[in-house]
Amino acid sequence: MKRLAAVAALLSLAAVTACSSATTPGTSSGGGGGGVYTTIDGLRAGIDANAPINPFNPKGNAFRGYNSMWLGWTKNHLTDPNQFYPGIAESWEIAPDQSSITLRLQPANKWSDGRPVTAEDVKVSIGLAYTQGGTAYALDPAVSGTASDVEVIDERTIKITQSAENPSVTFVRGVMETVIVPAHVWGSLLPADFWDKLKTARGDGAEAEAARTEITGLAEKVIAFAPAEDVSAGPFTLERVNPGEALLVKNRHFHNAANVAPDQVKLLHYAGNEQIWNYLIAGRLDNAPFTAVPAEVMKRIVRTPGNGVVKGYSPVGNALAFNQSKKPYDNVHVRRALAYLIDREQVTKVASPEGGIASVTTSGMHQKAAAEWLGDAFTTLEPYKADPAKAEEELKAAGMKKEGGKWAMPDGSPWKMSIHVPAPFSDWLAGAKSVASQLGDAGIDAEVVTTADYPLYLEELAAGKYDTGFWLVALGPAPYNIYQRLYGTPNGWQLFGGKLKHVAPGKEGNWMGGPETVEVDGEKVNPGELAVKLNSAPEAEQKEIIGTLAKAANQDLPVIQMWDYVNTQFVNTSRFTGFPQAESDALRLTSGVWIQLGMIKKK
Amino acid sequence: MALIGVRARPGAIAVARRLAGHLARGLAMILVVTSVNFVIIRNIPGDPIAARYEKLVEQGMSPDQAERATAVLYGFLPKGSLWEQYADYMGGLLTLDLGQSLSTPGAEVTGMLAAAATWTVIPVLAGTLLSFLLGVTMGVYAAIRRSGRLGDVLAISGSLLHGVPQYVLALLLGAIFTTLWPILPGSGTADIMIEPGLSVEYAGSLIQHATLPVLTYALASYGGWILAMKSSVVTVLGDDFILAAELRGLTRGIIFRYVARNAILPLFTILALSLGLLFGGAIFIERIFTYPGLGLLLLDSITGRDYALMGGAFLLITVAIVIANIVADMLYTVIDPRVRSGEESA
Repeated sequence: MKRLAAVAALLSLAAVTACSSATTPGTSSGGGGGGVYTTIDGLRAGIDANAPINPFNPKGNAFRGYNSMWLGWTKNHLTDPNQFYPGIAESWEIAPDQSSITLRLQPANKWSDGRPVTAEDVKVSIGLAYTQGGTAYALDPAVSGTASDVEVIDERTIKITQSAENPSVTFVRGVMETVIVPAHVWGSLLPADFWDKLKTARGDGAEAEAARTEITGLAEKVIAFAPAEDVSAGPFTLERVNPGEALLVKNRHFHNAANVAPDQVKLLHYAGNEQIWNYLIAGRLDNAPFTAVPAEVMKRIVRTPGNGVVKGYSPVGNALAFNQSKKPYDNVHVRRALAYLIDREQVTKVASPEGGIASVTTSGMHQKAAAEWLGDAFTTLEPYKADPAKAEEELKAAGMKKEGGKWAMPDGSPWKMSIHVPAPFSDWLAGAKSVASQLGDAGIDAEVVTTADYPLYLEELAAGKYDTGFWLVALGPAPYNIYQRLYGTPNGWQLFGGKLKHVAPGKEGNWMGGPETVEVDGEKVNPGELAVKLNSAPEAEQKEIIGTLAKAANQDLPVIQMWDYVNTQFVNTSRFTGFPQAESDALRLTSGVWIQLGMIKKK
Repeated sequence: MALIGVRARPGAIAVARRLAGHLARGLAMILVVTSVNFVIIRNIPGDPIAARYEKLVEQGMSPDQAERATAVLYGFLPKGSLWEQYADYMGGLLTLDLGQSLSTPGAEVTGMLAAAATWTVIPVLAGTLLSFLLGVTMGVYAAIRRSGRLGDVLAISGSLLHGVPQYVLALLLGAIFTTLWPILPGSGTADIMIEPGLSVEYAGSLIQHATLPVLTYALASYGGWILAMKSSVVTVLGDDFILAAELRGLTRGIIFRYVARNAILPLFTILALSLGLLFGGAIFIERIFTYPGLGLLLLDSITGRDYALMGGAFLLITVAIVIANIVADMLYTVIDPRVRSGEESA
């Protein structure tokens, strides 16, 4: 009897803990080869069984490329941010001046409940995006690169026009990265007069302000919305999710279902890189997106049968950033001296041997993008190769004093350089230790200071509490985004309603504290103004501006670039083949996109 | 019968009075700890929204777009002055409304805690009870056979296990049973391929996934129990009543029962407190086995500066410990006649 009670209790537990389950009428096996494709979601750590099936929710169980769809999928191009693979849109026409984009939707695409995907779905999705304010949708008309008009041409065609007030080259990308959700599930979140309200909101005056408040007020409702079941226009729909895994099954209504190889996709939960390493060593993952891996672990991963590594361009770099409102980092000679003292090859070898390559120099850009944008001019930049003699010259030029083999401040007081890093970032920590060690050998008393976690690190960095710290740079591919890291808010330039202003160091997030103007080739330039121009300038002008900004960054060194990241992905060809090759422009996209494009084949 | 009734009445009243006192003190304690937690949590430095912004920029979004996209999250941050927030929070507590999560915007904290509690309470309870039963039994043997080899082996095993931190044990067990001899799953709660429900297959999967966390909990606390029990038994063995029992010629079995009953009393208090502490989850174990209990939830809430979730988790832990204290005290009254008679005579 007791045993029976125990079994009954266990089964009750099973029922109680049975996790959220979504019934999926439009799902089926067959076609494309079958099998279970196992991976992780590299866009965010962990699976949250409490989260809704909502792509607007940061933890929502809507997985990009699988059951969450964009209009198009951005290619990983060195210089052009406006190249895409088809998504919900089959094709698109961009006006020569990028003032509008007309999208033609996939003709045979249906939601997983069998209803067709129409231009009305796109329009409703855009309405919802306005409440969130991301990508190309902002209520403030003065914000650059935003949509001002959405016109449904026919059931399969939609035209989106860019606001003429403040156009941007990022508009097209913003539109293509619109998440598309079914109007028949989400439409009720928008009030009937939404589009009239939107028109009013994009105007001026008190009425516009009231309309903006009303639309923004919908944001929380949208982000928290929890549909009862997953209705997806992607290759998969969510079947169920538990705290450790999510299971997606094939959507037979997907337009390219015949070429979708796996019947099911299993996304595994992870809380840290070490769990991904274990999955890889066990051969469980068909693909793992970029994961920092120490050399020893890498050896174990590649020993697993079927495992392989694919590398490609990653528009991200790592740098040692200076707070120029703190002495002696306000002196360019000190910054240059440090650049000459740091052997970046050595730092990279220690910090990120598999996921990084030492930066050729500091230009603000990833070396590959810099070579493409600057051409031969890239080679004329000062490389800051390790050279202790030059470093000594620079330190002397800064007035620094060397006593008893140790460098001191010009007034003879001790110079202690603190390099800050967030403790959980193992590659940054290893890099910072290597830098401190090298500087120590050169007579500079350097220490590494860790901060408990990234949110705290960012807060203290923005508050100007650190002298120097590691910082991500070169975040492309859009040149505007790239130079915002050096000459944007962190360095005092703020863009409000299309107007640029420069705030004093230590105020409103200006922790880099660089000067408002610098001299480049004998000419005084405002780097923040130039960086903002990148948002709207045509390509030829962009090249010119990038040339100036790269020179400014190279001569003034607001940061010293350490290493450029390499998109190191892991694939296992034991069960599936057809993964993107090295340097493929699809490498930064999720496995879900590779699968929906028909690249992945069952072995 | 009448005599018994007369005798039981003052005892019941004393117990009720004692319980009422405990409850009043417990409520006051919860109120104080919750208020202190509230202030501490609101003052934890760190900007979770900046971290989200950085993530979006890293993924290719422009800084202005990322700024707009993260602005909505501010709606999930507590509003008003600290006093207003405090009043809102305490008001919410009365209706068990702990607010909405920031890291999973829109999700009710109460629901998240309830979901996570399942994955903590059952495995930790199983592990703790398993180790208690084993530890207590072995502790008695270790004390009785303390001059023999068995006693030495048991005592040494207890000391060794007691000295090994939980996370080291978890890593060791994980390495052995998921890598060297991969017979158990190293993460998660159940195989996602199995339909959740009332099936033997699903129950089997739950048990399989819970094995390593439970084993770690059990081994990690086993050493403590065996050592505490051994020490307690050795003390009791020296008591006069044991000598008297031996002189009276009582059998070894009866003497064993005498010893065990008396020696186990102090351990019940520790057990009750351990059960209260289990609501804190075992952060390391849950992290290592990706077991989504309260410990992992608490860790995530701190990392994400999810104030509402942190507050809820701390509240749950506080309430559990206060209740455990009350239960331990009341249990003592029930199982130790000396305490009971002391109350009655008072």
